[in-house]
Amino acid sequence: MTLLPFAVAVSVAFAVPLLGEASADQVSRILVSLQKNLLTPIPLCFLLGIICTRIHGGIKIPKELYYSIAIFLLMSIGFIGGHELAHEYQAHGVATIWKPALATLFLGCVTPITSFVVLRYIGGMSIADSAGIAAHYGSTSAVTYAVANSFVEQAGHPANSFLPTLVTLLECPGIAIALVIGAALSAKERAARAAESGRKVKESKLGEALYEVMTGQSIMLMAGLLVIGFVSTLYMDPKGFQPFYDFFQSKGMLFRGALCIFLLEMGLVAGEKLGDLLKVGPFLVAFGILIPLIHGFLGVYLGHMAGLNLGGCAVLGAIVSSASYIAAPPAVRLTLPEANPTYSITAALAITFPFNIAFGIPIYFEMAKFVGAQ
Amino acid sequence: MQLYPLKIVTVVGESVIMEDIAERGVELGATGYTMSEVIGHGSRSARNVGSTAGGAKTLKVEFVVPTDVATTILDEISHEYFEHYAIIAWLSDVSVMRGEQYTRKSGG
Repeated sequence: MTLLPFAVAVSVAFAVPLLGEASADQVSRILVSLQKNLLTPIPLCFLLGIICTRIHGGIKIPKELYYSIAIFLLMSIGFIGGHELAHEYQAHGVATIWKPALATLFLGCVTPITSFVVLRYIGGMSIADSAGIAAHYGSTSAVTYAVANSFVEQAGHPANSFLPTLVTLLECPGIAIALVIGAALSAKERAARAAESGRKVKESKLGEALYEVMTGQSIMLMAGLLVIGFVSTLYMDPKGFQPFYDFFQSKGMLFRGALCIFLLEMGLVAGEKLGDLLKVGPFLVAFGILIPLIHGFLGVYLGHMAGLNLGGCAVLGAIVSSASYIAAPPAVRLTLPEANPTYSITAALAITFPFNIAFGIPIYFEMAKFVGAQ
Repeated sequence: MQLYPLKIVTVVGESVIMEDIAERGVELGATGYTMSEVIGHGSRSARNVGSTAGGAKTLKVEFVVPTDVATTILDEISHEYFEHYAIIAWLSDVSVMRGEQYTRKSGG
């Protein structure tokens, strides 16, 4: 906790070169962008959810509807991603895709390590807690992708077509790396505890947890539908393909409406978790805002270097900065049971997710303009 | 009507570990189990991450077993899961019909 000023100083030092060159004009553009984003149905539904929970209001989204919508959103992201990927492949082969894919994998490996180092050595958190939170921040949130994608489409700068492929690539490595770090570093402590109690060392569930992440609903649906969208675009008659496209398309009324309902539920859950903000302390609150900005900038910058367009850079920044709250929690729970889930869930869901939805996405969009993406 | 005196081990906990517990119970001598979703709140409910949005899931698993198997299961669960997970377990007496169904014939 005493190291909080240091953490802020490091982040400010990181951001100064950016802000130093930003003119008053750019700052006002960011503010306009923020306002444009905030006053749209998706963040407003999220806000409604938060308010409803805080005042003990009566909105209740049935679990089955929530799961159905999650399935539809994941299928849409995968299917449309596969469809657009097929067009990209037909036009350019893999020439435009391999660099962003490599950059995404690199980011997936770097973000859990930066998160772990900051949490452990600046925040002074335990190994298990640091690794547990790092696993959440190393992975990504598909809903943040959907919201960011809608934002850049509305801003008239649609992202490169293959971004859903990058979301799938980003989901796993971060969780795996953080869990391996956590399991390796805490193995000694566990052995000591087992020796003390005279029991055998509990076997690590790392393999089982990673298998569950790889075969979990998010990856299976997104990657599966990506392949289906890709193959059917290449081999199906376009007229026959059209109804599927109409049903799943992300610019369509079904997708956007479903996203509103989903965000309403996310708001209801985040509203409950807001109460935990006091429990997690100011360091984690600062972490939940500053780390996404740093990771987001890295995503935007490397995306630009890898040749992504303006929308693509902003969306890559958003997904790199986002924290997983669906795939990561059970995996962390199985592998690092001593980690306190209140920390990771509160940071991911009550701090970073709302921050990204309200402020982060327009900021990454402006960052993308700033680095010169077009 | 003949009734057989047996024990029922009930374990209620966060969904992420309950399938493991059900399988472990069978490995330790239970011939089967019943699992159901329940709603509740306890001192460690905050640890339950089941499926974050859509509500954290709490599951209940029950084994009808002879006394020796019941104590083995409770011992194992308390050692493996009590320290870090949101979980409670208890033992009750039950009288069941067709009691031979709940006892393994060849010690396996």
